[in-house]
Amino acid sequence: MDLHILDHRLRVTSISKTGLEQYTHPLIKLIFLRNRTRCKFFSLTETPENYTVVLDEEGFKELQPSEHLQVEGSTWLPLNVVSNGNASSSSQSVGVTKIAKSVIAPLAEQHVSVFMLSTYQTDFILVREKDLSVVVESLVEEFNIFREEGGESVPVHSQDACNGLQRNGREVPHATVHPVLIPENQFCVMSLDPDTLPAIATILIDVLFYSNSPREGASIDQDMECIKFFSFSMIDGYVSLVMDTEAQKQFPTDLLFTSSSGELWRMVRIGGQPLGFDECGIVAQISQPLADSDISAYYISTFSFDHALVSTRKEVSFMIHSKSKRQD
Amino acid sequence: MSSGYKPDILWSPHHADRYVICDTELSLYRIGPAGSPETKAGALPLSEQTAATLLAINSDTPYMKCVAWYPKHEPECLLAVGQANGRVVLTSLGQSHNSKCKELVGKEFVPKHARQCNTLAWNPVDSNWLAAGLDKHRADFSVLIWDISSKFSPEAVPAEKVRLSGDVDSGLVVTKPLYELGQNDACLSLCWLPRDHQKLLLAGMHRNLAIFDLRNTSQKTFVNTKAIQGVTVDPHFQDRVASFFEGQVAIWDLRKFEKPVFTLTEQPKPLTKVAWCPTRMGLLATLTRDSNIIRLYDMQHTPMPFGDEVEPTIIERSVQPCSESIISSFAWHPSAQNRMVVVSPNRVMNDFTVFERISLAWSSTTALMWACGRHLYECTEDAGQGAAAAEKDIATKMRERAQSHYGHDTVQVWRNHVLAGGDDPQLRSLWYTLHFMKQYTENVEQKQQSNKQSLIYSGIKNIVKSSSGTTETRRCWSGSDRQTDVPRYHSEERSLALQLCGWISRGPDIDVEPFLKSLEQEGEWERAAAVALFNLDIRRAIQILNKGASAEKGDLNLNVVAMALSGYTDEKNSLWREMCSSLRLQLKKPYLCIMFAFLTSEPGTYDAVLYESRVAVRDRVAFACMFLNDAQLPRYIDKLTYEMKEAGNLEGILLTGLTKDGVDLMESYVDRTGDVQTASFCMLKGSPGEVLKDPRVQCWIENYRNLLDAWRFWHKRAEFDIHRSKLDPSSKPLPQVFVSCNFCGKSISYSCSAIPHQGRGFSQYGVSGSPTKSKVTSCPGCRKPLPRCALCLMNMGTPVSSCPGTGKADEKADLTRDKKLAQFNNWFTWCHNCRHGGHAGHMLSWFRDHSECPVSACTCKCMQLDTTGNLVPSDSV
Repeated sequence: MDLHILDHRLRVTSISKTGLEQYTHPLIKLIFLRNRTRCKFFSLTETPENYTVVLDEEGFKELQPSEHLQVEGSTWLPLNVVSNGNASSSSQSVGVTKIAKSVIAPLAEQHVSVFMLSTYQTDFILVREKDLSVVVESLVEEFNIFREEGGESVPVHSQDACNGLQRNGREVPHATVHPVLIPENQFCVMSLDPDTLPAIATILIDVLFYSNSPREGASIDQDMECIKFFSFSMIDGYVSLVMDTEAQKQFPTDLLFTSSSGELWRMVRIGGQPLGFDECGIVAQISQPLADSDISAYYISTFSFDHALVSTRKEVSFMIHSKSKRQD
Repeated sequence: MSSGYKPDILWSPHHADRYVICDTELSLYRIGPAGSPETKAGALPLSEQTAATLLAINSDTPYMKCVAWYPKHEPECLLAVGQANGRVVLTSLGQSHNSKCKELVGKEFVPKHARQCNTLAWNPVDSNWLAAGLDKHRADFSVLIWDISSKFSPEAVPAEKVRLSGDVDSGLVVTKPLYELGQNDACLSLCWLPRDHQKLLLAGMHRNLAIFDLRNTSQKTFVNTKAIQGVTVDPHFQDRVASFFEGQVAIWDLRKFEKPVFTLTEQPKPLTKVAWCPTRMGLLATLTRDSNIIRLYDMQHTPMPFGDEVEPTIIERSVQPCSESIISSFAWHPSAQNRMVVVSPNRVMNDFTVFERISLAWSSTTALMWACGRHLYECTEDAGQGAAAAEKDIATKMRERAQSHYGHDTVQVWRNHVLAGGDDPQLRSLWYTLHFMKQYTENVEQKQQSNKQSLIYSGIKNIVKSSSGTTETRRCWSGSDRQTDVPRYHSEERSLALQLCGWISRGPDIDVEPFLKSLEQEGEWERAAAVALFNLDIRRAIQILNKGASAEKGDLNLNVVAMALSGYTDEKNSLWREMCSSLRLQLKKPYLCIMFAFLTSEPGTYDAVLYESRVAVRDRVAFACMFLNDAQLPRYIDKLTYEMKEAGNLEGILLTGLTKDGVDLMESYVDRTGDVQTASFCMLKGSPGEVLKDPRVQCWIENYRNLLDAWRFWHKRAEFDIHRSKLDPSSKPLPQVFVSCNFCGKSISYSCSAIPHQGRGFSQYGVSGSPTKSKVTSCPGCRKPLPRCALCLMNMGTPVSSCPGTGKADEKADLTRDKKLAQFNNWFTWCHNCRHGGHAGHMLSWFRDHSECPVSACTCKCMQLDTTGNLVPSDSV
């Protein structure tokens, strides 16, 4: 297997719900006017708390600093696992499950904090730039690591011999068990021909920026049965959308791509309090048991919480079960 | 969204007159001659000769991303359309509904996860197989190979799916591909490899080019590269593949797939289409975005990569099919040579044929060959009698002259101009000059006046400069007692000059009569009369003219001239004089003209004679030597010399001699004519050593030798070399190759320095005919035996007996030839490869019938290694 360190330098930011109107202009520019910006990596996820925006430095320039914009201090680099064909025989599972053992677990062991971003096309594992040497060292045995620079893939070799566990000087907290929330609504993961983006522009704007309008917004606080979750990303020209079935109804059926089985996903939100960026091992905690049972899952981190998507209620309960077992 | 699509174009693989334009819909056109009854009023003109008629439109398939035309004859107009959601739909154009493809049309091939279909390719042989390249998906494959003949989808279609896709007739939907390749990656382009069409597929994945072998799909050959768009196999060279990325095209050799064989110069704008010409070897056309030109790369002469160092030569050109408009796409015609149709973004189409480069080559003879497209034209000089010899190319002339031994007559030097064809007055003058020079050199040598020798070869210019002791005489008109007032000058040098001009023969005799006689014989009546007149023999002149008039084919006008001449009077103001000086200008014949000019001139002012350019230089110079005084003569000669040098007129050699001046003159002659043959022979002819050393002369000689070699006139070349070494001993090449003894390493031709050099590259040894050099079969240095001939098994040095293998009758017929060859038959010969050999004669007869070495265990194909051995000289011995 190959691990590619992609040629994007990313920032993880959050825009508060109240400050959204200040940022609608740059966001619309980043989503719809691709040829006006040099942004190649853009992801916008709406959660009940805020909007999480992950974007490269070119795109980051568009966002004016203000009290409504929170920025995580470090630069993040996306990793991407490329299986070179021979994985076809193994499990049919998708998403984080596939890389749980090979990437996520070793990083958790080395206490590297990761930010996961699953899309229709692939999974991105974001790591802090300063952790890169640790990442390379811990994964070099398992993967052929390439760093992409200007379109070329350059092989990366671990330069300095490792010296124990405390490389990033971070103390090792014991794995905390976070509360989870399982909303009732079902989600689908879709894609779109970027050329047809203009055709759904108004719907997309409506869903993204006017979701707080009274007709739905009223119910958010009173119960968490259904939570607002909408994710749009455009990475290297590929569009990926995650939305619940309610939102999906607003889009024309013939433009959105999805798998022919039309599968729907249940969400598990991890964290009662905002998780922060320093705790590690959360993804591993979730994905390990899934991998053991070969269950497909998507995983999307946001500024405050993590979100895992699994396909059925049964698997959700499995997840809960395995979590509680750990607790014991 | 549709406005963003640029039209693409596809030729029908089997109908040379049909093509499809695809943008938001598919439009089928038929192309035909413009103005023919078939093309209706609605036809779109494509070029001056052709027009297109719209036959059918199909707008059933929205969101088209790529189209591929079914490669087989039947069903004939079946198209696969790849859509933005990854579905591949079979559709048809302009077909009646009961046609064969009815059951195929409308069939859909749906991937598990929807994403854009980037490319489609039909398997060229197993035409049920259709490969589709899709964008990447996290859990799906990007290359799907569908079998269009599969009847139904094996898996039950879930209701959900039907809702999403909106299919009504799910029986036409196929969801199970035959093969799935390339997980977790995007496929931007693909093509089947014709070399192993059943099994191999080349795909431009996201980061690499990969070759999949369908017999074992888990195995793939791949190479990391950016150039992954538009992979396309050269139809004429199936291991050659072009792929591109942005502005760069990489050419790959599948046998050395590690890196591109080479990349073409990068274009500033991204490429949109790259296509090999199907009708022409190694021609690649490329198109960049928003461009109105198509670039062509001609790899016709690319040597197939033997090593990494081979840098192929590529001829790059560009064509502009429609003058202003931007080209959206183009397509080569499948069968018409170098033809393509281009389409602009607003669907303006243009039929265009790329004009082939013309390459031409001269043969070593005068034939010219040129090639354009598939046509080869040969152009040879018109050998018909109608073409005047003067019109012939100098190379033809030189060839003919070489064959007639031009330049080799060293005794009667003047005859060389006859050998040259005898029709060039300049050559005639040149060879007569050289003849006279040689004659007088010999004459002078007899008199042991060696100091004069250089004077003669230095030409009249130098001779008259050294003139001294000139005497002036006034003679009577012969046959009359009237005193002339014309002074005539005499000196030793002047008479020498006259001799060189050929007016008087050698010796003390200054009688011009023999010269007149010879002119009369040649029928040069006017010239003879003029010479007689200049020798103040007016009666003889009249006699000559009369003779000329009465001769066969004589000009009766000469009698009239004679009459006019007879009326000569030296009365200054006579009517005769007045009329003659004006009317003479109307005379066509230059010699007649100068006769009257002479008679009507004042003494000492003979410009009308001296500058009459139609008169031979030697006659004018002779005249000047007789009638110009010591001050005028050198001035005139200098002026004339300068003129001759400027014009490259060989008559001027008379003035310059074979001096540096002469080389200058010859230089401008060669510049004008290219006749290195005459230049070589002339400069060899007797020119002093320092002139021969002139680099220009050496250059002419070497060029002439090369020319003879190129014509395969090897014998002529050898003759020329012999001729040259006689005249210029310094040109004699030293022996360069010796046969050395195997044992002591010394040359076995111990007497080599004593015997004359026999030829290039061979040392002669052991000639049987010579009693002094009797059989020597051992090395003269160490007395060890010489190697044995592979055929007769005798030691070398033993004379050759009869050639084995040739019959007696043959031998007799070839007796004289054999005698000639007898010496050569004894030479050492050997193959440079296997080192076997023997007597030259034996070897020659062996290789007449064999190509393999005569040594039994040796399989060396000696004869085939000899590249020149199979060439036959074009000149006979």
